[in-house]
Amino acid sequence: MRRTPIVLAATAAGLAGVLGFHTKPAKVAVGVSPAGTTGAAATGGTAAGSSTGSGATRAPAPATTAPARSSSAGRRSATGTRSATGSVVNYNYGLMSVKVTASGTKITSVTIATLDDGGNSLSQSIDQQSIPLLEQQAVRAQSASIQGVSGASYTSAGFVQSLQFALSKLGIK
Amino acid sequence: MNAGPQGPADERAVAPDVHRIEPVMGTVVVVDIYTGGDPVPADVYRRLARARAVLHRADAVFSTWKRESPVSRLRRGEVSLEETPPDVREVLELCASARDATGGWFDPWAMPGGVDPTGYVKGWAAQKALDALVGSGVTGALVNAAGDIACSGSPSPGGPWRIAVADPSSRAGIVAVAEVTRSIATSGTYERGAHLVDPRTGLAGTRVASATVTGPDLGRADALATALAVGGDEVLPLVGGLEGYEGLTVQRDGTWSATPAFPFAAGGTPDEVARLLAGG
Repeated sequence: MRRTPIVLAATAAGLAGVLGFHTKPAKVAVGVSPAGTTGAAATGGTAAGSSTGSGATRAPAPATTAPARSSSAGRRSATGTRSATGSVVNYNYGLMSVKVTASGTKITSVTIATLDDGGNSLSQSIDQQSIPLLEQQAVRAQSASIQGVSGASYTSAGFVQSLQFALSKLGIK
Repeated sequence: MNAGPQGPADERAVAPDVHRIEPVMGTVVVVDIYTGGDPVPADVYRRLARARAVLHRADAVFSTWKRESPVSRLRRGEVSLEETPPDVREVLELCASARDATGGWFDPWAMPGGVDPTGYVKGWAAQKALDALVGSGVTGALVNAAGDIACSGSPSPGGPWRIAVADPSSRAGIVAVAEVTRSIATSGTYERGAHLVDPRTGLAGTRVASATVTGPDLGRADALATALAVGGDEVLPLVGGLEGYEGLTVQRDGTWSATPAFPFAAGGTPDEVARLLAGG
Protein backbone atom coordinates (compact mmCIF):
# COMPACT_ATOMS: atom_id res chain seq x y z
CA MET A 1 0.00 0.00 0.00
CA ARG A 2 1.66 3.13 -1.16
CA ARG A 3 -0.66 5.50 0.60
CA THR A 4 0.46 7.14 3.75
CA PRO A 5 -1.68 8.52 6.52
CA ILE A 6 -1.07 11.91 4.97
CA VAL A 7 -2.80 10.85 1.81
CA LEU A 8 -5.63 9.50 3.84
CA ALA A 9 -5.98 12.80 5.56
CA ALA A 10 -6.40 14.55 2.27
CA THR A 11 -8.89 12.02 1.03
CA ALA A 12 -10.92 12.00 4.17
CA ALA A 13 -10.92 15.75 4.35
CA GLY A 14 -12.13 15.93 0.81
CA LEU A 15 -15.01 13.65 1.56
CA ALA A 16 -16.09 15.29 4.75
CA GLY A 17 -18.35 17.67 2.98
CA VAL A 18 -21.42 17.25 5.05
CA LEU A 19 -20.26 19.55 7.76
CA GLY A 20 -21.87 22.89 8.20
CA PHE A 21 -19.98 25.86 6.90
CA HIS A 22 -20.45 29.55 7.01
CA THR A 23 -18.76 32.19 5.01
CA LYS A 24 -18.52 35.90 5.33
CA PRO A 25 -20.53 38.09 2.98
CA ALA A 26 -17.45 39.95 1.86
CA LYS A 27 -16.26 40.54 -1.66
CA VAL A 28 -13.38 38.22 -0.92
CA ALA A 29 -14.05 35.53 1.58
CA VAL A 30 -12.04 32.66 2.88
CA GLY A 31 -14.27 29.91 4.09
CA VAL A 32 -13.99 27.56 6.95
CA SER A 33 -11.44 24.85 6.58
CA PRO A 34 -13.13 21.85 4.97
CA ALA A 35 -12.06 19.67 7.82
CA GLY A 36 -9.51 19.62 10.55
CA THR A 37 -6.84 17.02 10.06
CA THR A 38 -7.04 15.79 13.61
CA GLY A 39 -9.93 13.48 12.92
CA ALA A 40 -8.22 12.00 9.92
CA ALA A 41 -5.11 11.32 11.91
CA ALA A 42 -7.17 9.58 14.52
CA THR A 43 -8.62 7.18 12.00
CA GLY A 44 -5.25 5.52 11.77
CA GLY A 45 -3.11 4.40 8.96
CA THR A 46 -5.13 1.93 7.00
CA ALA A 47 -6.34 2.89 3.60
CA ALA A 48 -9.12 0.35 3.57
CA GLY A 49 -12.40 1.75 2.46
CA SER A 50 -10.92 4.91 1.08
CA SER A 51 -12.42 4.15 -2.28
CA THR A 52 -15.74 5.44 -1.19
CA GLY A 53 -15.32 7.13 2.07
CA SER A 54 -13.35 6.79 5.20
CA GLY A 55 -14.41 10.26 6.18
CA ALA A 56 -17.85 9.51 7.51
CA THR A 57 -17.14 9.68 11.18
CA ARG A 58 -15.30 12.89 11.38
CA ALA A 59 -15.42 15.59 13.96
CA PRO A 60 -16.63 19.00 12.88
CA ALA A 61 -14.00 21.35 11.62
CA PRO A 62 -12.92 24.21 13.81
CA ALA A 63 -14.69 27.35 12.70
CA THR A 64 -11.73 29.34 11.58
CA THR A 65 -11.99 32.33 9.36
CA ALA A 66 -9.50 34.90 8.35
CA PRO A 67 -9.44 38.16 6.49
CA ALA A 68 -8.69 37.44 2.90
CA ARG A 69 -6.72 40.38 1.66
CA SER A 70 -4.00 41.29 4.08
CA SER A 71 -3.22 44.20 1.89
CA SER A 72 0.34 45.15 2.36
CA ALA A 73 1.46 47.06 -0.64
CA GLY A 74 4.45 45.95 -2.59
CA ARG A 75 7.67 47.39 -1.25
CA ARG A 76 10.53 48.49 -3.39
CA SER A 77 14.06 48.77 -2.11
CA ALA A 78 16.83 50.86 -3.56
CA THR A 79 18.31 47.81 -5.25
CA GLY A 80 15.26 47.11 -7.38
CA THR A 81 14.34 44.12 -5.33
CA ARG A 82 10.72 44.19 -4.32
CA SER A 83 8.55 42.04 -2.18
CA ALA A 84 4.89 41.64 -1.45
CA THR A 85 2.76 39.35 0.63
CA GLY A 86 -0.35 37.75 -0.80
CA SER A 87 -3.65 37.22 0.87
CA VAL A 88 -4.15 34.75 3.63
CA VAL A 89 -5.73 31.71 2.06
CA ASN A 90 -7.13 28.48 3.30
CA TYR A 91 -4.89 25.61 2.27
CA ASN A 92 -6.83 22.81 3.87
CA TYR A 93 -4.46 22.25 6.75
CA GLY A 94 -4.80 25.79 7.97
CA LEU A 95 -4.30 29.28 6.76
CA MET A 96 -1.27 30.69 5.09
CA SER A 97 0.02 33.58 3.08
CA VAL A 98 2.86 33.73 0.62
CA LYS A 99 5.59 36.35 0.32
CA VAL A 100 7.23 36.92 -3.02
CA THR A 101 10.46 38.73 -3.67
CA ALA A 102 11.29 39.78 -7.19
CA SER A 103 14.03 41.54 -9.04
CA GLY A 104 12.38 43.34 -11.89
CA THR A 105 9.82 40.86 -13.09
CA LYS A 106 11.83 37.81 -12.10
CA ILE A 107 10.78 35.95 -9.00
CA THR A 108 13.79 35.41 -6.80
CA SER A 109 12.19 33.86 -3.77
CA VAL A 110 8.86 32.65 -2.55
CA THR A 111 8.40 32.04 1.13
CA ILE A 112 5.58 31.39 3.52
CA ALA A 113 4.84 34.66 5.30
CA THR A 114 2.26 33.38 7.72
CA LEU A 115 1.16 29.91 8.54
CA ASP A 116 -1.48 28.86 11.00
CA ASP A 117 -2.03 25.15 11.11
CA GLY A 118 -3.39 25.07 14.63
CA GLY A 119 -0.29 23.32 15.91
CA ASN A 120 -1.44 20.02 14.48
CA SER A 121 1.50 17.66 14.20
CA LEU A 122 0.19 15.90 11.12
CA SER A 123 -0.29 19.13 9.26
CA GLN A 124 3.15 20.29 10.34
CA SER A 125 4.70 17.22 8.80
CA ILE A 126 2.78 17.94 5.61
CA ASP A 127 3.96 21.52 5.69
CA GLN A 128 7.53 20.41 5.98
CA GLN A 129 7.16 18.17 2.98
CA SER A 130 5.12 20.27 0.67
CA ILE A 131 5.98 23.87 1.24
CA PRO A 132 9.65 23.72 0.25
CA LEU A 133 8.58 21.96 -2.93
CA LEU A 134 6.02 24.59 -3.68
CA GLU A 135 8.52 27.35 -3.11
CA GLN A 136 11.06 25.69 -5.32
CA GLN A 137 8.69 25.04 -8.14
CA ALA A 138 7.11 28.46 -8.09
CA VAL A 139 10.50 30.05 -8.53
CA ARG A 140 11.75 27.68 -11.16
CA ALA A 141 8.62 27.51 -13.22
CA GLN A 142 7.71 31.16 -12.65
CA SER A 143 4.35 29.58 -12.14
CA ALA A 144 2.63 32.82 -11.34
CA SER A 145 1.44 32.88 -14.90
CA ILE A 146 -0.93 30.02 -14.31
CA GLN A 147 -4.48 30.54 -13.17
CA GLY A 148 -5.00 27.20 -11.53
CA VAL A 149 -3.76 23.66 -11.02
CA SER A 150 -5.84 20.79 -12.33
CA GLY A 151 -5.80 17.82 -10.01
CA ALA A 152 -4.49 19.73 -7.03
CA SER A 153 -7.34 19.84 -4.61
CA TYR A 154 -6.02 21.82 -1.77
CA THR A 155 -2.51 22.71 -0.89
CA SER A 156 -1.23 23.84 -4.23
CA ALA A 157 -4.39 25.71 -5.03
CA GLY A 158 -4.21 27.73 -1.86
CA PHE A 159 -0.56 28.43 -2.36
CA VAL A 160 -1.03 29.54 -5.93
CA GLN A 161 -3.88 31.83 -4.97
CA SER A 162 -1.89 33.67 -2.38
CA LEU A 163 1.07 33.73 -4.73
CA GLN A 164 -1.04 35.34 -7.40
CA PHE A 165 -2.16 38.11 -5.10
CA ALA A 166 1.40 38.79 -4.07
CA LEU A 167 2.56 38.91 -7.67
CA SER A 168 -0.28 41.14 -8.66
CA LYS A 169 0.85 43.63 -6.07
CA LEU A 170 4.26 43.56 -7.69
CA GLY A 171 2.79 43.98 -11.14
CA ILE A 172 4.24 40.70 -12.33
CA LYS A 173 2.27 38.72 -14.77
CA MET B 1 5.83 35.31 -18.05
CA ASN B 2 8.92 37.32 -17.55
CA ALA B 3 7.06 40.16 -19.20
CA GLY B 4 9.65 42.60 -20.37
CA PRO B 5 9.60 46.13 -19.04
CA GLN B 6 8.62 46.16 -15.46
CA GLY B 7 5.68 48.21 -14.51
CA PRO B 8 3.19 48.72 -11.78
CA ALA B 9 0.11 46.58 -11.49
CA ASP B 10 -1.51 46.98 -14.86
CA GLU B 11 -3.65 45.10 -17.31
CA ARG B 12 -1.16 42.22 -17.20
CA ALA B 13 -1.84 41.55 -13.56
CA VAL B 14 -3.20 38.08 -13.12
CA ALA B 15 -5.14 38.52 -9.91
CA PRO B 16 -8.86 38.31 -10.51
CA ASP B 17 -11.11 41.24 -9.69
CA VAL B 18 -13.40 39.00 -7.69
CA HIS B 19 -11.97 35.98 -5.92
CA ARG B 20 -14.12 33.74 -3.82
CA ILE B 21 -13.33 30.49 -2.07
CA GLU B 22 -16.52 28.60 -1.46
CA PRO B 23 -16.58 25.56 0.83
CA VAL B 24 -19.14 23.27 -0.78
CA MET B 25 -19.51 19.70 -2.03
CA GLY B 26 -16.97 18.44 0.45
CA THR B 27 -14.20 20.57 -0.90
CA VAL B 28 -13.42 24.12 -1.81
CA VAL B 29 -14.54 25.73 -5.05
CA VAL B 30 -12.64 28.78 -6.23
CA VAL B 31 -14.48 31.36 -8.29
CA ASP B 32 -12.37 33.96 -10.07
CA ILE B 33 -13.90 36.77 -12.11
CA TYR B 34 -11.96 39.18 -14.30
CA THR B 35 -13.54 42.45 -15.40
CA GLY B 36 -10.72 43.89 -17.47
CA GLY B 37 -9.75 46.36 -14.78
CA ASP B 38 -13.08 48.11 -14.73
CA PRO B 39 -14.99 48.50 -11.49
CA VAL B 40 -16.96 45.38 -10.80
CA PRO B 41 -20.58 46.00 -11.79
CA ALA B 42 -23.23 45.09 -9.25
CA ASP B 43 -24.72 42.69 -11.75
CA VAL B 44 -21.57 40.58 -11.55
CA TYR B 45 -22.19 40.05 -7.85
CA ARG B 46 -25.75 39.02 -8.57
CA ARG B 47 -24.44 36.42 -10.99
CA LEU B 48 -21.87 35.32 -8.45
CA ALA B 49 -24.69 34.74 -5.99
CA ARG B 50 -26.49 32.63 -8.59
CA ALA B 51 -23.33 30.63 -9.25
CA ARG B 52 -22.92 29.96 -5.53
CA ALA B 53 -26.54 28.86 -5.36
CA VAL B 54 -25.93 26.42 -8.21
CA LEU B 55 -23.08 24.83 -6.28
CA HIS B 56 -24.96 24.55 -3.02
CA ARG B 57 -28.05 23.18 -4.69
CA ALA B 58 -25.95 20.51 -6.41
CA ASP B 59 -24.51 19.64 -3.02
CA ALA B 60 -27.97 19.40 -1.43
CA VAL B 61 -29.41 17.27 -4.23
CA PHE B 62 -26.52 14.98 -5.09
CA SER B 63 -24.53 14.50 -1.91
CA THR B 64 -24.15 10.86 -1.01
CA TRP B 65 -23.00 11.99 2.44
CA LYS B 66 -26.17 13.86 3.26
CA ARG B 67 -28.55 11.17 4.37
CA GLU B 68 -31.67 12.95 3.24
CA SER B 69 -30.42 14.19 -0.11
CA PRO B 70 -32.55 13.05 -3.07
CA VAL B 71 -29.66 10.97 -4.41
CA SER B 72 -29.09 9.29 -1.04
CA ARG B 73 -32.79 8.44 -0.89
CA LEU B 74 -32.68 7.17 -4.46
CA ARG B 75 -29.73 4.95 -3.62
CA ARG B 76 -31.62 3.48 -0.68
CA GLY B 77 -34.63 2.85 -2.87
CA GLU B 78 -36.83 5.19 -0.86
CA VAL B 79 -37.78 7.22 -3.92
CA SER B 80 -38.02 6.39 -7.59
CA LEU B 81 -36.09 8.28 -10.22
CA GLU B 82 -39.32 9.98 -11.24
CA GLU B 83 -39.68 11.35 -7.71
CA THR B 84 -36.27 12.99 -7.72
CA PRO B 85 -35.65 16.57 -8.88
CA PRO B 86 -35.20 17.07 -12.63
CA ASP B 87 -31.50 17.77 -12.03
CA VAL B 88 -31.00 14.14 -11.03
CA ARG B 89 -32.53 12.80 -14.21
CA GLU B 90 -30.53 15.27 -16.29
CA VAL B 91 -27.26 14.21 -14.69
CA LEU B 92 -28.02 10.51 -14.98
CA GLU B 93 -28.78 10.94 -18.67
CA LEU B 94 -25.44 12.72 -19.08
CA CYS B 95 -23.77 9.93 -17.12
CA ALA B 96 -25.30 7.33 -19.41
CA SER B 97 -23.99 9.23 -22.41
CA ALA B 98 -20.51 9.36 -20.89
CA ARG B 99 -20.69 5.66 -20.03
CA ASP B 100 -21.48 4.86 -23.64
CA ALA B 101 -18.80 7.19 -24.96
CA THR B 102 -16.15 5.55 -22.77
CA GLY B 103 -17.07 1.97 -23.49
CA GLY B 104 -18.13 1.56 -19.86
CA TRP B 105 -14.92 2.79 -18.27
CA PHE B 106 -17.00 5.49 -16.64
CA ASP B 107 -20.01 3.81 -15.08
CA PRO B 108 -21.88 5.29 -12.11
CA TRP B 109 -24.15 2.25 -12.12
CA ALA B 110 -21.24 -0.05 -11.30
CA MET B 111 -20.32 1.76 -8.10
CA PRO B 112 -20.66 0.04 -4.73
CA GLY B 113 -23.87 0.95 -2.96
CA GLY B 114 -25.94 1.71 -6.00
CA VAL B 115 -25.90 4.32 -8.72
CA ASP B 116 -23.48 7.08 -7.77
CA PRO B 117 -23.19 10.08 -10.11
CA THR B 118 -20.64 11.76 -7.84
CA GLY B 119 -17.96 11.41 -10.51
CA TYR B 120 -19.98 13.60 -12.83
CA VAL B 121 -21.64 16.02 -10.46
CA LYS B 122 -18.70 18.13 -9.36
CA GLY B 123 -17.71 19.02 -12.88
CA TRP B 124 -21.30 19.43 -13.97
CA ALA B 125 -22.04 21.79 -11.10
CA ALA B 126 -18.88 23.80 -11.66
CA GLN B 127 -19.75 24.13 -15.34
CA LYS B 128 -23.26 25.31 -14.46
CA ALA B 129 -21.81 27.78 -11.96
CA LEU B 130 -19.48 29.13 -14.62
CA ASP B 131 -22.32 29.45 -17.10
CA ALA B 132 -24.22 31.48 -14.49
CA LEU B 133 -21.30 33.90 -14.19
CA VAL B 134 -20.85 34.73 -17.84
CA GLY B 135 -22.37 38.01 -18.95
CA SER B 136 -21.71 41.68 -19.52
CA GLY B 137 -18.90 43.15 -17.48
CA VAL B 138 -17.07 39.84 -17.23
CA THR B 139 -14.05 39.44 -19.49
CA GLY B 140 -13.01 36.17 -17.93
CA ALA B 141 -14.32 33.75 -15.36
CA LEU B 142 -13.04 30.55 -13.87
CA VAL B 143 -14.57 28.01 -11.51
CA ASN B 144 -12.08 25.63 -9.93
CA ALA B 145 -13.79 22.77 -8.13
CA ALA B 146 -10.92 21.11 -6.31
CA GLY B 147 -8.76 20.93 -9.38
CA ASP B 148 -11.50 20.43 -11.97
CA ILE B 149 -11.70 23.75 -13.77
CA ALA B 150 -14.21 25.42 -16.07
CA CYS B 151 -13.32 28.75 -17.63
CA SER B 152 -14.64 31.29 -20.08
CA GLY B 153 -13.24 34.36 -21.76
CA SER B 154 -9.69 35.28 -20.83
CA PRO B 155 -7.77 36.25 -17.68
CA SER B 156 -5.99 39.06 -19.50
CA PRO B 157 -6.54 40.73 -22.87
CA GLY B 158 -5.89 38.12 -25.48
CA GLY B 159 -4.17 35.86 -23.00
CA PRO B 160 -5.04 32.21 -22.61
CA TRP B 161 -5.94 30.41 -19.44
CA ARG B 162 -2.82 28.58 -18.40
CA ILE B 163 -3.60 25.68 -16.10
CA ALA B 164 -0.92 23.49 -14.59
CA VAL B 165 -1.49 19.77 -14.17
CA ALA B 166 -0.61 18.45 -10.73
CA ASP B 167 2.19 15.92 -10.48
CA PRO B 168 0.65 12.63 -9.36
CA SER B 169 3.91 11.67 -7.66
CA SER B 170 4.29 14.77 -5.56
CA ARG B 171 1.91 16.59 -3.30
CA ALA B 172 3.15 19.94 -4.47
CA GLY B 173 4.57 19.50 -7.92
CA ILE B 174 3.33 20.18 -11.40
CA VAL B 175 3.87 17.91 -14.37
CA ALA B 176 2.57 19.92 -17.34
CA VAL B 177 0.95 23.21 -18.30
CA ALA B 178 -2.06 23.38 -20.60
CA GLU B 179 -3.75 26.24 -22.40
CA VAL B 180 -7.42 25.81 -21.66
CA THR B 181 -10.34 27.50 -23.37
CA ARG B 182 -13.30 25.77 -21.72
CA SER B 183 -12.49 23.10 -19.16
CA ILE B 184 -9.90 20.72 -17.73
CA ALA B 185 -10.34 17.85 -15.30
CA THR B 186 -7.80 15.55 -13.68
CA SER B 187 -8.47 12.26 -11.94
CA GLY B 188 -6.37 9.91 -9.93
CA THR B 189 -3.83 12.30 -8.53
CA TYR B 190 -1.91 12.20 -5.31
CA GLU B 191 -4.42 14.11 -3.25
CA ARG B 192 -7.53 12.25 -4.32
CA GLY B 193 -6.15 9.10 -5.85
CA ALA B 194 -7.75 6.39 -3.82
CA HIS B 195 -11.38 6.95 -4.64
CA LEU B 196 -11.65 5.63 -8.18
CA VAL B 197 -13.33 2.31 -8.77
CA ASP B 198 -12.84 0.10 -11.81
CA PRO B 199 -16.37 -0.63 -13.08
CA ARG B 200 -15.15 -3.89 -14.61
CA THR B 201 -13.90 -5.32 -11.33
CA GLY B 202 -15.65 -3.24 -8.66
CA LEU B 203 -12.28 -2.69 -7.05
CA ALA B 204 -10.46 0.54 -6.35
CA GLY B 205 -7.58 1.20 -8.64
CA THR B 206 -6.27 2.99 -11.69
CA ARG B 207 -4.06 2.02 -14.59
CA VAL B 208 -2.28 5.35 -14.70
CA ALA B 209 -1.20 7.67 -11.91
CA SER B 210 -3.26 10.52 -13.24
CA ALA B 211 -5.43 11.34 -16.22
CA THR B 212 -6.31 14.78 -17.51
CA VAL B 213 -8.97 15.72 -20.04
CA THR B 214 -9.64 19.08 -21.68
CA GLY B 215 -12.79 19.89 -23.58
CA PRO B 216 -15.91 22.00 -23.99
CA ASP B 217 -17.85 20.77 -20.95
CA LEU B 218 -16.41 20.13 -17.50
CA GLY B 219 -18.97 17.54 -16.45
CA ARG B 220 -18.09 15.39 -19.42
CA ALA B 221 -14.38 16.13 -19.07
CA ASP B 222 -14.58 15.00 -15.45
CA ALA B 223 -16.22 11.73 -16.46
CA LEU B 224 -13.74 11.18 -19.27
CA ALA B 225 -10.81 11.82 -16.92
CA THR B 226 -12.19 9.22 -14.55
CA ALA B 227 -12.55 6.71 -17.38
CA LEU B 228 -9.04 7.49 -18.59
CA ALA B 229 -7.53 7.08 -15.13
CA VAL B 230 -9.27 3.78 -14.56
CA GLY B 231 -8.88 2.37 -18.07
CA GLY B 232 -5.45 3.75 -18.85
CA ASP B 233 -3.95 4.44 -22.21
CA GLU B 234 -6.37 2.22 -24.10
CA VAL B 235 -9.02 4.88 -23.37
CA LEU B 236 -6.94 7.69 -24.92
CA PRO B 237 -8.18 7.08 -28.47
CA LEU B 238 -11.77 7.07 -27.22
CA VAL B 239 -11.24 10.47 -25.61
CA GLY B 240 -9.43 11.87 -28.62
CA GLY B 241 -12.24 10.67 -30.85
CA LEU B 242 -14.79 12.84 -29.06
CA GLU B 243 -15.23 16.22 -30.68
CA GLY B 244 -13.27 18.86 -28.78
CA TYR B 245 -11.82 16.56 -26.11
CA GLU B 246 -8.16 15.71 -25.55
CA GLY B 247 -6.45 13.54 -22.97
CA LEU B 248 -3.16 13.19 -21.10
CA THR B 249 -2.03 10.32 -18.90
CA VAL B 250 0.93 10.35 -16.53
CA GLN B 251 2.50 7.31 -14.95
CA ARG B 252 4.08 7.34 -11.54
CA ASP B 253 7.53 7.03 -13.10
CA GLY B 254 6.92 10.21 -15.08
CA THR B 255 6.27 8.65 -18.48
CA TRP B 256 3.23 10.05 -20.21
CA SER B 257 0.95 9.76 -23.21
CA ALA B 258 -1.38 12.27 -24.80
CA THR B 259 -3.78 12.59 -27.67
CA PRO B 260 -2.10 14.30 -30.63
CA ALA B 261 -3.88 17.63 -30.17
CA PHE B 262 -3.61 17.95 -26.39
CA PRO B 263 -3.31 21.72 -25.77
CA PHE B 264 0.04 21.96 -24.03
CA ALA B 265 1.12 25.53 -23.37
CA ALA B 266 4.41 26.60 -24.93
CA GLY B 267 7.08 24.83 -22.92
CA GLY B 268 4.40 22.97 -21.03
CA THR B 269 4.85 19.35 -22.06
CA PRO B 270 5.86 16.97 -19.27
CA ASP B 271 9.33 16.65 -20.75
CA GLU B 272 9.81 20.40 -20.89
CA VAL B 273 8.42 20.97 -17.42
CA ALA B 274 10.65 18.22 -16.03
CA ARG B 275 13.69 19.85 -17.61
CA LEU B 276 12.70 23.24 -16.27
CA LEU B 277 12.16 21.93 -12.77
CA ALA B 278 15.42 20.02 -12.88
CA GLY B 279 17.13 23.36 -13.08
CA GLY B 280 17.36 23.84 -16.81
